[in-house]
Amino acid sequence: MVKRTMQNQRPISRRTFLRLSAVFTAGAGLAACGGEPPAPVAVPTVAPTEPPVAAEPTAAPAEPTSAPAADAAPTTAAESGGQPSSYNEAPMLAALVQAGSLPPVEQRLPKNPMVVDGLEGPGNYGGTLRRAYNGVSDYYGPNKVQQISLVWFKEDLSLRPDLAESWEVSEDAKTWTFKLREGLKWSDGKDLTTDDFKWYYDHVLTHETLATQANTGRGAYITGADRTLMEAEFPDKLTAIFKFADPNPLFIYQVTRGQPFVPSEHMKQFHADFADPAELEAKVKEAGFETWEQLFDDRNRPLIDNRPSTGTWIPANTFGEQLFEMVRNPYFTQVDSAGNQLPYIDKVTHLIFESPEALSSRVIAGEVDYQARHMSIGNFTLFKENENQGDYKVVLGVTAGHIAFQPNHTAKDPKLREFFQNRDVRLALSHAINRAEMNELLFNGTAEPRQYSPLKSSPQYYEKLTKSNIEYDVEKANQLLDAAGYDKKDSEGFRLWKDGSGTLSFVIEGTALPGSTDEDAVQTLVKYFAAVGVKAAYKPVERALYTQHFNANEIEAAFWGGDRTLLPLVPQQNIFLGTTLDRPWACAWGIWRNNPDDPNGEQPPADHWINKIWALWDELVTMADEQARDQKFFELLDIWAEEMPMIGILGELPQPIIVKNGLKGVRPGIPIDDPTKDEQIANNQTFYWDDPSKHGG
Amino acid sequence: MAKYILKRILYMIPTLFVISIISFAIIQLPPGDFLTSYVATLRQQGEDIDATAIKALEEQYGLNQPIYVQYGKWMRNILLYGDFGLSFEWRRPVKDLIWERIGLTVFISLLTILVTWIISIPAAVYVATHQYSFLDYLISFISFVGLGTPGFLIALVYLWIMLSVFGVNAAGLFSEQYINAPWNWDKIVDMMSRIWAPVLILALDNTAGIIRTVRANLLDELNKPYVETARAKGLKERILIWKYPVRVALNPFFSTVGWTLAALVSGETLVAVVLNIQTSGPLLLRALTSQDMYLAGAFVLLLSALTVLGTLISDILLAIADPRIRLEG
Repeated sequence: MVKRTMQNQRPISRRTFLRLSAVFTAGAGLAACGGEPPAPVAVPTVAPTEPPVAAEPTAAPAEPTSAPAADAAPTTAAESGGQPSSYNEAPMLAALVQAGSLPPVEQRLPKNPMVVDGLEGPGNYGGTLRRAYNGVSDYYGPNKVQQISLVWFKEDLSLRPDLAESWEVSEDAKTWTFKLREGLKWSDGKDLTTDDFKWYYDHVLTHETLATQANTGRGAYITGADRTLMEAEFPDKLTAIFKFADPNPLFIYQVTRGQPFVPSEHMKQFHADFADPAELEAKVKEAGFETWEQLFDDRNRPLIDNRPSTGTWIPANTFGEQLFEMVRNPYFTQVDSAGNQLPYIDKVTHLIFESPEALSSRVIAGEVDYQARHMSIGNFTLFKENENQGDYKVVLGVTAGHIAFQPNHTAKDPKLREFFQNRDVRLALSHAINRAEMNELLFNGTAEPRQYSPLKSSPQYYEKLTKSNIEYDVEKANQLLDAAGYDKKDSEGFRLWKDGSGTLSFVIEGTALPGSTDEDAVQTLVKYFAAVGVKAAYKPVERALYTQHFNANEIEAAFWGGDRTLLPLVPQQNIFLGTTLDRPWACAWGIWRNNPDDPNGEQPPADHWINKIWALWDELVTMADEQARDQKFFELLDIWAEEMPMIGILGELPQPIIVKNGLKGVRPGIPIDDPTKDEQIANNQTFYWDDPSKHGG
Repeated sequence: MAKYILKRILYMIPTLFVISIISFAIIQLPPGDFLTSYVATLRQQGEDIDATAIKALEEQYGLNQPIYVQYGKWMRNILLYGDFGLSFEWRRPVKDLIWERIGLTVFISLLTILVTWIISIPAAVYVATHQYSFLDYLISFISFVGLGTPGFLIALVYLWIMLSVFGVNAAGLFSEQYINAPWNWDKIVDMMSRIWAPVLILALDNTAGIIRTVRANLLDELNKPYVETARAKGLKERILIWKYPVRVALNPFFSTVGWTLAALVSGETLVAVVLNIQTSGPLLLRALTSQDMYLAGAFVLLLSALTVLGTLISDILLAIADPRIRLEG
């Protein structure tokens, strides 16, 4: 019966097909309309009349060739605009130029700076943006605020140039060529050229002892099973050529945030091949480290110890302090179409919060200006109630996360393994869940019942998987379980193991703590399972213990959401493969694929469908043609729709974003995921205050 | 007396040694180590960190060595160079981190202790000498509430009241514009306008305990014959109470005064966490949860040393305050 249902479905539904065609032919602008809540009409006050020419890459892979400029304007206005002829700068910088301590703006900007317009057009200079962070462990919060690299995402998630003026990829996707803008500068005023690329390649990436440090970023530049490092050539000061041993068509996503270059002049003082040995040793000792590699690795992080950066804002005091302050980068490389050097806002501050209560208290008092990070949906009502008092608005973004359940197909107990490996059982468990009720109970109906699958706003959205087996149907669930051989029950009505040896039961592990929305969700899930006679219990564990359990395949089932669904092809770690072990649906198999020598790993049976998933993935990551690659990925998702490896429950989860009244240029409904810098996807350099004097000048 | 003190100081050395071993072992007890969580964070951020890199990190931080080797190395650096090691999370020397926060911590703690004493001792004497009066009931009621309600809860209620009634975020010791400002008069005024709340909340916690103990002890003493005798001889009531029974009743107070030395440095962790105050308490809590073992270890060691030292001080104080105590053994 189930089989027939599957046969009735065509591999790609008509609707999906139409949608796909739309993405690839009509242009990227349309893709964004698919899933995003209506964005405010973005009409820049200085409307670009010329179709964008200089700002567009010549050979961007994600760039549609025939996008009609007129159609694209409403959604991509933020990125367009002709090249301005003269430049303006912030008053605080103009004062420094006047005083002679800073060169004039024309000399600080590259020859053809990147032009980025805000949603609400050119803005006012000045003011401070206040945010919250969790101290040194929250390095990525402030880091994402300022991070700028070679390319970045447009609103429709295609890519636009940034520090790179253009880029090209060879047909076999093995060679990438980046053309830098001429006249790029580090935040200390030194030139940024391919010399900095070359130094990074010669003295960090290929250095015997430095290469293995955690923060060298080496993982981004290796390919293949034997982890071969790319080769690099730098024919002139503006051209960087990266050659990979294997096709690497997704490499472009590594340089949205990662940088294949370092401020070499600055970093030389920490490098044993360049620095004076005695001086370097004194520095190592003073910093409390044992080796110079540790010191180098630490000092090579942006935000740390005056390291020059390409960021929007640069540190004004020490990262980790109670109030971490960042101030505008005088050499920032972007302008708006009126020629105003970005950013508009002078300062971004991060105040430490030691407890969630202290943070909520700050939000309600109106002391947080723009923040999604650390804002829990559980506090939505609290934040909303106090909007007027705190003079802010709560807007909702969409997170990439899902409420999901992972049965471990490789559970140590052979009976449980048999149970979870049975496809009918997984379908039954999925049908046993009343997703609509859960959505109402826990999220006020703001989430969406769906399987774990790419977001609607994702270029790889795939409706077939999203909607498969999500109907609440207890009868069907019971039928499936009965037919699977689990029809005998104990005195309490719980099903017995197939061989009748006692009650079937398993433990769901997770880190959701009592009282949290997530914990409510998993407890509700346990009730739904009980209603079809499946006995499960939730056990909250400390994160380190959880890690230890999945690393040793000692986990029966897990409850740990599922994210990375905005750009599922970007990250190295992929939940769809079962190799992201904290979502342990194929724990022992995932361990084996990550490291065949690991004693806890197991090779999956040769005829198992997971091998097909892996084969598809290994093939698609080498495919240069975007459309064909996506098709391959949809094939992979077809297997997911068919086999239901893990059970998704709710998705498109809302993420509260606090926006102070008077802050302009903020886009609501943004998707929130790590590769796109969370809430910083939205060009925060174009945010501005309608009255900067009310916000710290 | 001098011989007694010297002997006690010598005893402190093995005690501290044992404490350091136990605390180091306890910090290592939870599953995983700092690298486990660090690598997890890196991965979550999409950084591909491979097995060789993890191995290299383990080696650098010495986490692949047996625990006694790690302990030995740590101890050697402390004893020979006064180097308490590196905080993994902060990537800074532990010594600097603790030192940075100690000033503010000691200041708040001292203020709290002073306020505690100024309130609790007179109140205790009053309620004991006016047993079953209205004020006795009132003060006893308040002190029971203080005893029964944890400080962090009072702190939360305080935060909420300030928010809902005055619309003010009362967390933190400074307004945002003064945090990074150099010390000046305005900054001091700003701090003073905020510091009273945490100090009172912390004091309320301790006050209650002291009032209850001293009241009970004093009630016992007040009925003893020596009090009757003194009174019969015509000693003024005020002098009599404060000079004799109060001194005896304060005995348990003196024997616990030693612990306050450690409290001076640890700060009241939970209240500080709730009220977002950058004392050493939250630092210690974070170090423990992230298994930042040298930072946590140095803290525990420091606190133990202060407790041991404090016990010595309270013994000496007891000997001075209570003539019945002999310096033997």
